[in-house]
Amino acid sequence: MTPRVEMRGIHKVYPDGTIALRGVDLLLGRGEIVGLLGENGAGKTTLMKILSGLLRPTRGDILVDGRPHQFQNPGDALAAGIGMVYQIFALVPPYTVLENIILGREAAGVLAGVRLEASRAQVLRLIEQTGLSVPLDVPVESLPIGVQQRVEILKTLYRGTSVLILDEPTSALTPPEVSDLFAFLEGMRKGGNSIVFITHKLREVLEISDRIVVLRGGQVTGEAPTAGATPAQLAEMMVGRAVVPRVTRSPKAAGEPVLAVSDLQVANDQGSPAVKGVSFDVRAGEIFGIAGVEGNGQSELVQALTGLRPHTGGSITLNGAPVIHLNPLDLYRRGVGHVPEDKARFGLALNFDLAENSILGRQEEPEFVGALGRLNWTRILGYVRGLIERFHVVAPGVRTPVRSLSGGNQQRLLVGRELSKRPVLIVAMHPTRGLDVASTVYIRQLLVQIRDEGKGVLLVSADLDEVLELSDRIAVMYEGAFLGVGAAGELSREQIGLMMGGVAHVGEAP
Amino acid sequence: MTLDQSRTAVLGRALRFAGLRPIAESLGTIVLGLIAGAGLMLIFGSNPIAAYSALFTGAFGTVADALETLAFATPLMLTALTFAVGVRAGLFNIGAEGQMFMGAIGATFVAGLIPLPAGIHLVAATGAGLLAGGAWALLPALLKVWRGVHEVISTIMANWIALFLATYLAVNFLSEPGRAERTTPALETARYPVLNEDASLTAVFFVAITFCVLVYFYLWGTRAGYGIRLAGENPGAARYAGVSARRAIFLSFIIGGFAAGLAGASQIIGRPPAWSLYATMGNVVTIGFDGIGVALVGRNHPIGGIAAAILFGALQQGGRLMEYQAGVASDLVRAINGLIVITLAVPEIWSLLRRRRAR
Repeated sequence: MTPRVEMRGIHKVYPDGTIALRGVDLLLGRGEIVGLLGENGAGKTTLMKILSGLLRPTRGDILVDGRPHQFQNPGDALAAGIGMVYQIFALVPPYTVLENIILGREAAGVLAGVRLEASRAQVLRLIEQTGLSVPLDVPVESLPIGVQQRVEILKTLYRGTSVLILDEPTSALTPPEVSDLFAFLEGMRKGGNSIVFITHKLREVLEISDRIVVLRGGQVTGEAPTAGATPAQLAEMMVGRAVVPRVTRSPKAAGEPVLAVSDLQVANDQGSPAVKGVSFDVRAGEIFGIAGVEGNGQSELVQALTGLRPHTGGSITLNGAPVIHLNPLDLYRRGVGHVPEDKARFGLALNFDLAENSILGRQEEPEFVGALGRLNWTRILGYVRGLIERFHVVAPGVRTPVRSLSGGNQQRLLVGRELSKRPVLIVAMHPTRGLDVASTVYIRQLLVQIRDEGKGVLLVSADLDEVLELSDRIAVMYEGAFLGVGAAGELSREQIGLMMGGVAHVGEAP
Repeated sequence: MTLDQSRTAVLGRALRFAGLRPIAESLGTIVLGLIAGAGLMLIFGSNPIAAYSALFTGAFGTVADALETLAFATPLMLTALTFAVGVRAGLFNIGAEGQMFMGAIGATFVAGLIPLPAGIHLVAATGAGLLAGGAWALLPALLKVWRGVHEVISTIMANWIALFLATYLAVNFLSEPGRAERTTPALETARYPVLNEDASLTAVFFVAITFCVLVYFYLWGTRAGYGIRLAGENPGAARYAGVSARRAIFLSFIIGGFAAGLAGASQIIGRPPAWSLYATMGNVVTIGFDGIGVALVGRNHPIGGIAAAILFGALQQGGRLMEYQAGVASDLVRAINGLIVITLAVPEIWSLLRRRRAR
């Protein structure tokens, strides 16, 4: 039987010389779910962008139902029945769900406007077939991420897609939303559709896929039927060596609170409450982890604690002294280090070189500033070389723009700089997001080491495994409040998963 | 991947690491610009080789020509600096023209009407131009910092106000008795020495170069300059580092105003034969706007701006010879110069757009 899709010898070289794919073959059968597994930068997304017509391969062939195709754009791929749901959704936020789904395919008269009602019946039928329930007449921006993703999938299916590509579809979903998604994928498979599921989460591919293809460094390093595959074996294929992902953490008695937060209220950019009365403390020598699906007020909480956003109510106490309207520089002087959620937006200036980035936030210090406000480059260069060595940053030189470093090395530099501030408290948000395994493990080890040195660590992460692995105490944040706080052993993964979805107590109906 | 591709990639990387890539790109575009200009000349029936050799001879053929080229370059490197410092702080400051007018007025007033001892007079007249330009930049600076008024709007308006204000002052208060078409010339004590009798280059050239170099050291070598560049490069990171974006914007405007004011002054107290401001503004008009192009060609870098200004000066100076020796019509000369400038500016415009989109 001809496979639904066959990719042969796909090479991709980006214009800047980066080689993303080095001869990848991929088969996709009818009624099959293929899990495409690999680390960040392995080439998964590039391969699928080629299949969906967004990128053109440097070399290689794509066969659909045995016939060669050359996709010039995503429209060509859609015409062949191939559609992709990207990690970052392409929805128009103020448009309604219905408008978004039919966008570009709307039934319209020559002179009349869009005839929404003509499409409505079709979309309703699609919803019934797939079980992806969404409200049709509310603006997309008012919906949670999980529902937006359903809209995105419906939009793709509305265009007649029978080969569905999903790029990291579970990254922003709650556990119940993941189950719903998987149920839908089962249904699609039964209907004879083909699905490619891109992920780096072992548990998910093992659960949903029929066959697993592992990519590393732009090449297929392993391929196996899901039945019989083991996590250890897949991880080995993914990183090319046996992984030691767990960071060892010895029990340790925590000291006095370095940070005490009481009934804290913070508004978001629109002025509506994002943090609604949160109280907790972080003690010396402990990692306090905050789990939760992104967008539940964590960003605003962290920004309030690091001086990037004012708080509207409650109090913050640092080392026993109240914090009122301090800017990040004041807070740093009081001992707060900050590993921000988005290093490209806050933590680094990507077009600045390593030396310039190494003094970001420390640019006022007498150590680096001489007479007339002159920067002492000799000292700065010595200091940045020290950082590079101590935190194993791989960089062509200290005068190279940080942009040219890999994400892992950028983060090493950033974390190293924050630690060089000799903080009493480190606030770290998504500290390992998007990093390679080695850097992830390294950064996690550093956080544990900071804790062992008797500093307080506030860890905010959407990666539940990370929070579970590192934290001494865990809080789950949902809609601006803590649903539960407990010592690491007290809360099970399942309990936390439910709380992330807004279910406060085990046994309560969702 | 072919060997050729990999070689290009390696070369590209090597250039990037050496920080030479912008320079290589600019040199490449100069060649492209000249080819494009040649195409235009062929269409209109001129001989590109004769024309370009006239252009070169005109700009650098004799010592006097070369000095004249530098005389043209002097105000341009300063107004380019105005725009470049703005871009470094994340601004699109196109107010150099107006600030340059005010600088010319300030210098004219002190140089022509206030007798002072030699030496002091020159410094005072230069300072007056500098300060007048800086003062005129205060308006858009404060509007931006206090009220968030976009600098493109405010500087365009300030440019027009400055043009008419300068004309009014020149005609009514500063004009030379009996000669309405120009202001009282700078007194001898307020004139920069002419370097060569056959050219209009004066020692003000060195003042301009020094100013550019100082601003370079300020931006890259001091804490405040670091803050300005950080605020322009990544406002989020500036906030994170406790750098005040307002302060950065304000400083950038004022430094730009000083540069433009100095550019205006340089045409009064540093440019024979007029040593004065024409009532039509004819001897200074467009110097501010030309600076934008110069800055783009110079990759918004103070030192790059010096090189680009010399190139622009060469086009202006050499263009004259191209006109009467190679018989290229004057409009065509300007079109060719424009074409070269546009081609040269493409890489920087491209990177500016990319940076804006990335935000």
